[in-house]
Amino acid sequence: MIEVEHLTKYYGSIPALEDVSFQVGQGEVIGFLGPNGAGKSTAMRILTGFSPATRGFARIGGYEVHAHPLEVKRRVGYLPERVPLYDEMVVSGFLRFVAEVKGVSRGNVKAEVGRVMERCSVVDISDRMIAHLSKGYRQRVGLAQALIGSPPVLILDEPTVGLDPRQIIEIRQMIKELGKEHTVLLSTHILPEVSMVCERVIIINHGRIVTEDRLDRLTGKEGDRTLEDVFMEAIAKEGGVRGEPEAEKQ
Amino acid sequence: MSAAGRNIWAVFKREFKSYFLTPVGYVVAGMVAVISGLAFSISFITFAKITQSPSQYAYSSVPDFEETLLGPYLVFCGLLIMFISPLITMRLLAEEKHKGTIELLLTYPLRDRDIIFGKYFAAMAMVLVMMLVVAVDLGIVSHFVHVEPAVLVFGLLTVVLMSSAFISVGFFVSSVVQNQITSAALTFGLFLLTYVLGNLGEELPKVSPVPADWPGAIQGPVSFVYFIFRGLAVELAMDAHARDMTQGVFQPKDVAYYLLFTAFFLFLTFRSLESRKWKG
Repeated sequence: MIEVEHLTKYYGSIPALEDVSFQVGQGEVIGFLGPNGAGKSTAMRILTGFSPATRGFARIGGYEVHAHPLEVKRRVGYLPERVPLYDEMVVSGFLRFVAEVKGVSRGNVKAEVGRVMERCSVVDISDRMIAHLSKGYRQRVGLAQALIGSPPVLILDEPTVGLDPRQIIEIRQMIKELGKEHTVLLSTHILPEVSMVCERVIIINHGRIVTEDRLDRLTGKEGDRTLEDVFMEAIAKEGGVRGEPEAEKQ
Repeated sequence: MSAAGRNIWAVFKREFKSYFLTPVGYVVAGMVAVISGLAFSISFITFAKITQSPSQYAYSSVPDFEETLLGPYLVFCGLLIMFISPLITMRLLAEEKHKGTIELLLTYPLRDRDIIFGKYFAAMAMVLVMMLVVAVDLGIVSHFVHVEPAVLVFGLLTVVLMSSAFISVGFFVSSVVQNQITSAALTFGLFLLTYVLGNLGEELPKVSPVPADWPGAIQGPVSFVYFIFRGLAVELAMDAHARDMTQGVFQPKDVAYYLLFTAFFLFLTFRSLESRKWKG
């Protein structure tokens, strides 16, 4: 469903991604891990067609991102890292807008908005202004807009960051459910989360893939290694965590 | 409705509603209502005085309503919109970039065309809201004074055309900068500059001021640069092309001026939005 080949991205002369290749099959839930500044968000932004790659290809559902942006965008639901939403709108109004631009037919807009609001448990706050929402609700509205139109691929950039433990459990549960019908690429820093929802893990550091395997193979049959061990070992290979913040460029 | 029409409509609706979900729409409409209303009352009272005793005001007979009041008033409204339009356009793209919502907008299945036209039409709809206020004033007056309806409609249309040029410039500036305040300030500065330059250009002599005793090799190029500068100063002033049209004089070149002006800046906005694809 997602094919990435030799993807490379430079911000000026600074490499953010170098020769990254991986594949994600239909219905898989992939954990995309790495320290801050490793290139996770950069990769996700390329996959969603938001920013261009310097070199290499990315395909979603067989469509190359740069050559067929519309076909790709129709197939992807995206939750950006900082959850940017139109603050002045009310939740249901915003979701209706998303349904319209995603091409949901006029007669189905109401039903589709109702479906995702139900799914993300935001029905109670449908009339609230987005600016007044708590972090947890904001995140759920962000997830709801990604789900509109039931895109086959979901790209979620740190969906649980800044949530309280109860909200994390809820969102995690939701993602697990979503994995049954969608292909999910999930970036996160919370490793236990990955163990719970993902089947396969890609660890990226300094813009390069350092480890990629099935979760059960990485942690051993008896679970004798934790994902923390695997993670620290993987990023140590490349000379440890680089203390640079992720390039905040668009 | 076609897919493109649907998308443009969706972007338009969201954008236009947002003007009234934030104070911007009310502030803008209110300012126009108060200022244009006051200006209209003052000029109408003056006009009424003139009609009662034209000789006192150095007119030999009752002057033409269109020429003495309507035309100048509509030009004034155009200038008023020039000063207010940066408030309308500042948020169009700068706010999306500042808040990060551009990342959502550009990952929805929309073409650049849908985004740009949707937003441009939303800003133009705000202009129409302002013109509605002006039209009410004029509508009331046409009960008391005979105004040729065609002149009235054409006059209002001229102001809309002129506003379209202002909006397109502001839209482009908003697409280049990251911050609403910068966007408004820069747009406003540009308008003021062209306005001042326009007035300056009118004052400049139409013949080259280069002394005749300068050698021809210098005289030629210097005069050439002078004429370009004067021409630009006069032509770029966006109000200059509206003066005749507001009195109902149809000038194809003036209509073309505003249409091309708008098209040019919308084109630049397209390129600016597109630049993300190669700038990275």
